[in-house]
Amino acid sequence: MFRTLKPFGYFEPKTIEEAIGALSVHGAKAKVLAGGVDLVPRLRKRQAHPEYMINIQQIEELDGIIKETAEGLRIGALASLRSIELSPLVKKNYFVLHEAIHSIASIQVKTQGTAVGNLCVATPASDVAPALLVLDAKFRIVGPSGEKTVPAENFYLGVGQTVLQPNEIITEILLPKPQAKTGGAFLKLVRTAADIAKVNAAATLTMADGACKEARIAVGSVATTVLRVKKAEGVLKEQKLDLKVIETAARAAAEEVKPISDLRSTAEYRKETTRVLVKRALEKALERAKA
Amino acid sequence: MKKEIINLTVNGTLHEISVEPQVTLNEVLREQLDLTGTKLSCGAGECGACTVLIDGKPELSCCTLAMTANGKDILTIEGLARDGELHPLQKAFVECGAIQCGFCTPGMLLTSKALLDENPDPTREEVKSYLSGNLCRCTGYVKIVDAVLAAATEMNKGGK
Repeated sequence: MFRTLKPFGYFEPKTIEEAIGALSVHGAKAKVLAGGVDLVPRLRKRQAHPEYMINIQQIEELDGIIKETAEGLRIGALASLRSIELSPLVKKNYFVLHEAIHSIASIQVKTQGTAVGNLCVATPASDVAPALLVLDAKFRIVGPSGEKTVPAENFYLGVGQTVLQPNEIITEILLPKPQAKTGGAFLKLVRTAADIAKVNAAATLTMADGACKEARIAVGSVATTVLRVKKAEGVLKEQKLDLKVIETAARAAAEEVKPISDLRSTAEYRKETTRVLVKRALEKALERAKA
Repeated sequence: MKKEIINLTVNGTLHEISVEPQVTLNEVLREQLDLTGTKLSCGAGECGACTVLIDGKPELSCCTLAMTANGKDILTIEGLARDGELHPLQKAFVECGAIQCGFCTPGMLLTSKALLDENPDPTREEVKSYLSGNLCRCTGYVKIVDAVLAAATEMNKGGK
């Protein structure tokens, strides 16, 4: 660890167009800076070597506004994790996202760090991403050729890799309207509260006439990306959800994941913990869907 | 790299400072303004020892480029006491023995101030949760939490 950072050029675009222009010129030599809680430590550890820093915090078209729209909820790219956690709209209609951010320990990191930044880092241990996957989030992306919308589940390619090109930025997170009789839950297993997840799991269940109409389950830290476990979801669909069905789905989830062994856990332990967390998250989501 | 002039209001005083882009707010505070109460410890956003309040919110000076703090209002530990009198949180830390080596204390105090500004009457659990990003290797946290609760009680009585 070094105390100081290596020199780089610094640019504060005022418009998205200026930012995209600068990113198009400098390509992979440039880094986008928002909250800085991930990027600045990596600069200090010499894990990132940008020649140009593009600070997007001063772009007038970007904001951190969280508001209801005709389609659902819109979260601006500059919204801090903390502002999303505390948002009454998020707490009321997208509780699983509140719960996921609440589980992140440091108030300082959440005050400074943005949800979009967390997504773009593309760590498979993200707590935010599984919640957004089960909420069916989409990301609005702007690049040189215009705007597009990418579903959260198509966003990740691998560890630290996303579909985002070096000259594109995410401008908004979009969440669809919550359906009636839907419950969600987020759970994680960590060594200490401040550590990153050994395994995390998010689930949402939509019930109708006593049966499961829709199930979404996403897990983190158990593959190269955060992922949905669709076989497990399939087990639940159109079923009356009793403990046996939930247990079968949890086992299916554990079969679908491909964890590694590292200093935080062995692969075997992560598989077993996936089963337990998915089971508990489904039980909790079911309870909330009924409430 | 090219230096630029930024304006920082630190503990109520406006400073015009010339910085290079890679200089962090932590370096400016410690090395240009001699405000060494703000610590640099992990440098990775894990320990909270570098916490300062930026526009009233607890942020990590080690993870903040000074350029991005341009025009903002910064409170460091040196600005917490007023007119020679310690802030109620500082008094409570002393009275409750919430200090051993003292290295984490500035960050603890500023995070605690942000908590009490937001929530003047926190529960024990809320204090623990709010301080989870500030590590202390000496005290075991019990007395720190005691001190924050004692300060809250004192401040709610209208004491200064």
